[in-house]
Amino acid sequence: MVNSSGNKPGPLSGVRALELAEIWAGPFCGSLLADMGAEVIKVEAIQRIARGPIRPRPGTSGYPDGEPGERPWNRNANFNVLSRSKQGITLDLTTSDGAETFKELVNVSDVVFTNYAFGVMDKFGLGYEELRKVKPDIIALFTPGYGNTGPYRTFRSMGMVIDAITGHTALRGYPDMEISRNSLVHHPDAVAGATAVFSICLAIHNRARTGKGQFIDLSQAEAFMPHLGEVYLEHSLVGTPRSRRGNRHPAMAPHGTYPCAGDDEWVAVSVQSDEQWREMCQAMQMPQLAYHPDFETLPARLRNQDELDLIISRWTREMSRYQVANLLQEYGIATGPVLDCGGDTYDNPHLQDRGYFQAVDHPDAGVHLLSGPIWRMHNRPEVRHEPAPGLGQHNQDVLGDLMGLRHSRLAELEATRITGTVPLDGADMGGVRRARERGLSSSDS
Amino acid sequence: MPQVALDNVRVLELTDGIAGPYCAKMLADFGAEVISIDHPIPIAQPYPEINEAERKARQLHLNTNRKSLTLDLELERGRDVLLDLALHCDIIVESMRPGMVEGLGIGYEKLSQSRPDIVMTSVTPFGQDGPYNQWNYTELTLFAMTGAMHREGLPNRYPLKYGGEIAQYFAGTTAAAATMGALAGVALTGVGDWIDISILEAMAGHPHQIGRRAPFAYSGENDLRIEPRTSAAGGREPYAVGTFRCKDGYVSFLPLGPRMWPNIAQMIGQPELREDPRFLSTEDRSENRLELEVIFQDWLDQHTRMEVFDAAQKAGIPGGPVLEALEAADNEHFRERDYFQVIEHPEHGTHSYTGLPFRLSEAPISPPSPAPLLGQHSREVLTGLLNMSEQDLDSLVESGVTSLG
Repeated sequence: MVNSSGNKPGPLSGVRALELAEIWAGPFCGSLLADMGAEVIKVEAIQRIARGPIRPRPGTSGYPDGEPGERPWNRNANFNVLSRSKQGITLDLTTSDGAETFKELVNVSDVVFTNYAFGVMDKFGLGYEELRKVKPDIIALFTPGYGNTGPYRTFRSMGMVIDAITGHTALRGYPDMEISRNSLVHHPDAVAGATAVFSICLAIHNRARTGKGQFIDLSQAEAFMPHLGEVYLEHSLVGTPRSRRGNRHPAMAPHGTYPCAGDDEWVAVSVQSDEQWREMCQAMQMPQLAYHPDFETLPARLRNQDELDLIISRWTREMSRYQVANLLQEYGIATGPVLDCGGDTYDNPHLQDRGYFQAVDHPDAGVHLLSGPIWRMHNRPEVRHEPAPGLGQHNQDVLGDLMGLRHSRLAELEATRITGTVPLDGADMGGVRRARERGLSSSDS
Repeated sequence: MPQVALDNVRVLELTDGIAGPYCAKMLADFGAEVISIDHPIPIAQPYPEINEAERKARQLHLNTNRKSLTLDLELERGRDVLLDLALHCDIIVESMRPGMVEGLGIGYEKLSQSRPDIVMTSVTPFGQDGPYNQWNYTELTLFAMTGAMHREGLPNRYPLKYGGEIAQYFAGTTAAAATMGALAGVALTGVGDWIDISILEAMAGHPHQIGRRAPFAYSGENDLRIEPRTSAAGGREPYAVGTFRCKDGYVSFLPLGPRMWPNIAQMIGQPELREDPRFLSTEDRSENRLELEVIFQDWLDQHTRMEVFDAAQKAGIPGGPVLEALEAADNEHFRERDYFQVIEHPEHGTHSYTGLPFRLSEAPISPPSPAPLLGQHSREVLTGLLNMSEQDLDSLVESGVTSLG
């Protein structure tokens, strides 16, 4: 069960949180709470899973060696990294037995958080007022995209759309191309997840002082907008919106990504002052460039950036990204190799030295290197991740051992498909998303 | 009257950049008393006229709800005051180069001996240790290393940074989350902690990065820059995904999976497309995606952003308008929720600021206060909290240890 890897107690040890969440915002919140020692119980349903398709084709990416196996829902890479260190149970909350069982669980818990669309919890009969009847000091966080009030509260949203409406999309992309060529971005999900952790911890702190729980209304859009707060204020101060900059900066030059030797290898360089520019010319062994009138001062370099970028590209092209970064950092110049999300970050010597990656053994998926907690706590320096739960893996532990439901009751819940460990046909995201004929068909039959 | 959320929490802030100040801002905006240490003499800008508005906007935004105490920490008396103040605080948020906080006499090991309940949060680009811990950084160079840049942009062009200072704000948010977790831990156990935040590791541990690193770990698949709307990855069909031009600007969509195809046909008012042999199955639609995109674009060209937004919602599709900053500030939804806060600053006038990232039912917050003037609270903090006599204060001012705003 929990803490089999022998983690020291964390700041949130003893806190029990129930996660009703899909995609990123909610699950990310849950994994960060777990990193701090909270006991996080992820509540799913065999009628609706967010663990990839039920029957992906062999060779599908994101499964161990491309092999989905017998239980693909327990072998999905994305799910498994975002559900680290949680317990997993299944409950069909659309049934009164499922919802009542959930309430019994709320009664022994501290926190309920969800990123379901507005109104879903009410439909289950599990709105904040209902939860509060069961447990008066419960902390409940509901985070639909636009928040729990206002004209857009029921609107469907994804990070991509939040990115658009908050003003970030208008700032992204190549300045010489239409923004319809922009890449997909899901960053606001992550911001909502991290903000949710802050708010829940604040509410726990507050409860210790006042004895009261809390309803937290978190709008994913509103959590993200302060990250662009200076852009809003700048617009207000000067009267015009900020234009797209690509990789350039209005007060730094050079400031860009430059090609290096090797396929699709790049290095990012920022020169923050005239003094750093002179240092960079030393590093490039082009001392005459430092005092060239086209480049000597910041205003001159800003005017002549295209030419400047060509000169620097000619120099970087002969070296690897790490050679450039290591050299320029010796001269105090902000430089960073552009690393991809795969092998590059795993191979990075700094992240390795800091022990950022850890091998986690998942019973259905095998041993893989996962990224560590995103912060270190000095008094609890090592936090080992638990593997993500299989679907319904902890039904016995939670419903039986923790809540004390009798064996016969557990069998009844399973027989009526309120719980289970195998998703019903059509329960995956690619399908109709809720198995319509509940109890009649199962993917294992 | 319920209590303000964090009104019993005092924070010492010793930060620069963005991530550290944003962490402290989150605490300040929810009612913590945050005392920010500034140098008595402001840093001179070599080119004050270049990018002045952005610098000013950042300073005003990041420093709401603070107290400013000026201290020259190169002077021993400045450091004495700093230590005294640190011991009166519950949280310390600092963003100096690793090792400097110990040099100033307020390292965690020292403080925690007399204050085991203290929480110290150190926010640095690369963390307290490791080979890069003294490396210089900007948003661009740090973002490059997180994994996020490599997939942003087009395959035949250079990889791109996001807009704004996204990695630093995100790291500041995670710093605030960890700080608040540690403070909740103090309430539960009485023991504090020292939190090491690396901006690099925060952004590299972001769901998009770990979610893309996972397929590499599992099956060796890498995440490369791609042309928009060419991949059906992630259970999506390639049309109607991403950002599109419309009659008066741009809109973005992210429908999920084949189950939303009927909704898309409904949104554009052409339900008969569902019977069209070119578009029957996922495979058909992927194969004929360019034709579908033309049909889709024709419809978009005839509709404004808000019309598209409305149609998307009626059809149940995640889609919405691309707004510029002040358009968002003027948007009906955020107005209705009273999200933006109007704050008057004595020197920089009255502006609308982004509001709180969430609302609490049982803990209201006080009206916001503008970024402080330099040294505005020096007297209040030194003679009030630290009980200093007027005579001692005068002497500190005369010797340049502090200044009064």
